[in-house]
Amino acid sequence: MVITELYLKNFGMLSEKRIRLYDGIQVISGENEYGKSTIHAFIRAMLFGMERGRGRAAAKDDFSRYEPWDHPECYGGTMRFVCGGRSFRLERSFARPVRPAVLICEDDGEELSVEQGDLAMLLGGLTEGVFDSTVSVGQLKAEPGKTLSDVLENYAANYYETGNGEVDLNRALRILRERRRAAEKKAREEEAAQRERQQRLLQECRYLEQDMERLNCEYESCRESMKELRQERNRKTHVLEPQTNGQDTGEEPAKSEQEEGAESGISARSMLLAGAGGIFAGLIGFAWGMALGDMGQAGGAGAFAGLPSFPITVIGALIALAGAAVLVAGCLAWRKEKRRRKEKSRRNKESSQKEESRREEENSRKSGETSGQTEKAAEEERRLSWELERIRAEWKEKEIRCENRKEQLREIKESEGLREARRQCRVITLAEEEMEKAADETGSRTAHLINRRTSEIFSAVTDGKYQGVSVGQKMEISVWDGVRRIPAAGLSRGTLDQIYFAVRMAAADLILDEPMPVILDEVFAFYDEKRLKSALKWLSGQKKQVIIFTCHRREEEIMKKEDFS
Amino acid sequence: MKFIHIADVHLGAEPDAGPLYSEKRPRELWETLEHVVEVCEAERTDLLLIAGDLFHRQPLLRELKEVDALFSGLSHTKVVLIAGNHDYIRQDSYYRTFEWSGNVFPLFGRTPEYIDFPELHTAVYGLSYHSREIREPLYDQLRAAGVEPIEILLAHGGDEKHIPIDWNEVSDAGFSYVALGHIHKPQAVRKNRVIYSGALEPVDRNDTGPHGYIRGEITERGEITEQNQNGIKSGRKSRMQGEPAVQWIPCALREYVHAEVSVNAEDTEISIKKEIDKLISEYGNENIYKMILKGKRDPDIIFDTEYLAGRGNILEVLDRTEPDYDIDALLRENRDNLIGRYIGRFEGCVRGSEEYDALCEGLDALLTR
Repeated sequence: MVITELYLKNFGMLSEKRIRLYDGIQVISGENEYGKSTIHAFIRAMLFGMERGRGRAAAKDDFSRYEPWDHPECYGGTMRFVCGGRSFRLERSFARPVRPAVLICEDDGEELSVEQGDLAMLLGGLTEGVFDSTVSVGQLKAEPGKTLSDVLENYAANYYETGNGEVDLNRALRILRERRRAAEKKAREEEAAQRERQQRLLQECRYLEQDMERLNCEYESCRESMKELRQERNRKTHVLEPQTNGQDTGEEPAKSEQEEGAESGISARSMLLAGAGGIFAGLIGFAWGMALGDMGQAGGAGAFAGLPSFPITVIGALIALAGAAVLVAGCLAWRKEKRRRKEKSRRNKESSQKEESRREEENSRKSGETSGQTEKAAEEERRLSWELERIRAEWKEKEIRCENRKEQLREIKESEGLREARRQCRVITLAEEEMEKAADETGSRTAHLINRRTSEIFSAVTDGKYQGVSVGQKMEISVWDGVRRIPAAGLSRGTLDQIYFAVRMAAADLILDEPMPVILDEVFAFYDEKRLKSALKWLSGQKKQVIIFTCHRREEEIMKKEDFS
Repeated sequence: MKFIHIADVHLGAEPDAGPLYSEKRPRELWETLEHVVEVCEAERTDLLLIAGDLFHRQPLLRELKEVDALFSGLSHTKVVLIAGNHDYIRQDSYYRTFEWSGNVFPLFGRTPEYIDFPELHTAVYGLSYHSREIREPLYDQLRAAGVEPIEILLAHGGDEKHIPIDWNEVSDAGFSYVALGHIHKPQAVRKNRVIYSGALEPVDRNDTGPHGYIRGEITERGEITEQNQNGIKSGRKSRMQGEPAVQWIPCALREYVHAEVSVNAEDTEISIKKEIDKLISEYGNENIYKMILKGKRDPDIIFDTEYLAGRGNILEVLDRTEPDYDIDALLRENRDNLIGRYIGRFEGCVRGSEEYDALCEGLDALLTR
């Protein structure tokens, strides 16, 4: 593609300006503020359009920068170019209301549609991003605090891995890593908060359990003194009323257990015994029947000869079977009873406590009635039983609260915040992994090719002083002068600019199928005469349109003096 | 016969209500119950039906005393309650031993039983949870015995782990009204007849929407009781015998609101904060919020959700916005470079999925300048 004419109707500070361009190398020279960058931006805007940005960024984008102060309604222009042997005219207006770009083939007047992608087709693989990172070359610019060789290495590294110099892989990975760390930190904080909630509940449970333990002790000692008091009284009442002694403590639990057994029908123990007995009896009967049968067969007629032996055998066997069945049932009942007893004993504690206090109360009442002398002791006993009641109530309150807390503890789920934070960690990790893979894919394809082509160009520009550029494992750039390998940090500013130029030109060759105009904006400022000549020579051999913007006259002079063709 | 039906009061719960309200929230659950009791007294309601989960966990003795004292103040109303899965009658539960006032009638049996109120011509059926979960469909085979003209079932559950219910069976079991609890969102399973009153106050951050109680009246003859204003309305002229007229009355002090904030490329953190403030003043400052940011944001902008949630009544701000990228255009422009290949690796992923978000994160990192 060759650009033949630019007509800046109203663009930035230029208006009604027409520039004719030819194939091969063009030099557009002018002083500062001449409008070179404006023309550069105009070419870009014509090729790819230009829209008002959105959001806050709008204030400083190209659209605003080049919006003319006078007659903004005429914001736009025309570009003529030749592509594939046909000439085209492309007209764009950036003023509002937005009108579609007009693309006309001037050979046959056919109108093409930019919106349908006709222009994109003519441009081949040249997109905005590719344009910025290949054929549109500015000076290598270092951010403050960075050396130029770092910038160059980073740029080259990106070329190898991304296939596009404007995308900064390492920076992207760094951003993702930082974000992942932030998300992980958030997740950790959420986890810690959750653990703390758990800990608080656990702690509360522990306190409650300690309280319960303490209450238990209190209860025991209280009961102990109660017992002593009662024994004391019993000794006294024994003299008066010996029969009250019989139904005292101790017997009750045994009785209640017996009742329990009766409740479930025949007790398991008796079932076991009956089963064993049944088996025994059955076996004897069976053996007897068999013996009788033998005798009968032998022909002897004893006392039992009249009895048929066969039924006795059968009956014996049946009894044995029934015995076995009872035995099995007995075993099951035994196990069940055991389990129940266990549960019972667990439950018993509370009820027996209650039972006891009831009896104690009763006893103390009785003792109060029986003896007027022991009034003081009775008073003490009442106080004690009241105390026991209080402790029991308090214990139960604590127990319920403790159980409630334990329930709450079991119910703690992953909080929403934690879930969200964990999701974010997964999302970013996935982004990192995929980006590494995408970088690998791109790198392996382009690295080798770019490396070789860059070396060729760099060698040509330096007139053979350096034979190659190589990029190492860690993306460090070094040049080879046939004898030594020199790292980028040790190279002059001009040489770095030349490597940058070479990488871009190599990438343009590899990415673009069609030769596209190369725009060099103040690229050669640091080149010495000799290298500049070599660079121009190399460029003229490329069969491309080259547009050089410069504020010096050197380029023009060399082009006039030398005849590269 | 006039009744009020409440459920899932969850006394003793400590709902997450944001920094501003969490502290006083447990108290508010009690206050709303008090309010209902006041309504019962003022309207001379015959029955206050409590369909389970009056308490969030095992009630403490003092809590039972409080509740009982509250109920005992009712001069006319009789209270019927059952225990739900939260306050199930555990081995050590005070429910087992507590002595209720004369006008409180617990149905604490493991199996269905009923209480007869001959003076109201009403019988109330019910059972209580004795374990946290009951997977047997205990209500499906239950039938109204016909001891009174008006028979009401007080039931709790209705999901797989908490007494699954076959709605056809229960609807046709001969009850005039089925007062349900367990599901916190108020809803009618059968219009006017089988109703979840919903939690009295929202207790979980996902209990969105208004909450309250059911007020109803069941007549013995074919009269229509028009007390409806805007609640659940029955417009039929000839009502069947024992058909109830019910009305759902919102009374909760607060509401959980999940509000969507739509974001576009012009929005910044400050404009979103203003938008959130506007939403809150619209929905009411007393409510508790979860804000979900949706839409496409300027790719350069990141919202600090913690800062945005700074107001005391916002539980959380969830950022579900996507950077405003035209992914197809990006792919077209970057076919052969890292960006294109990166996008290609996520081909076919669905918007809102983790993959899609990873794609946006990666693009964001690649395109940030």
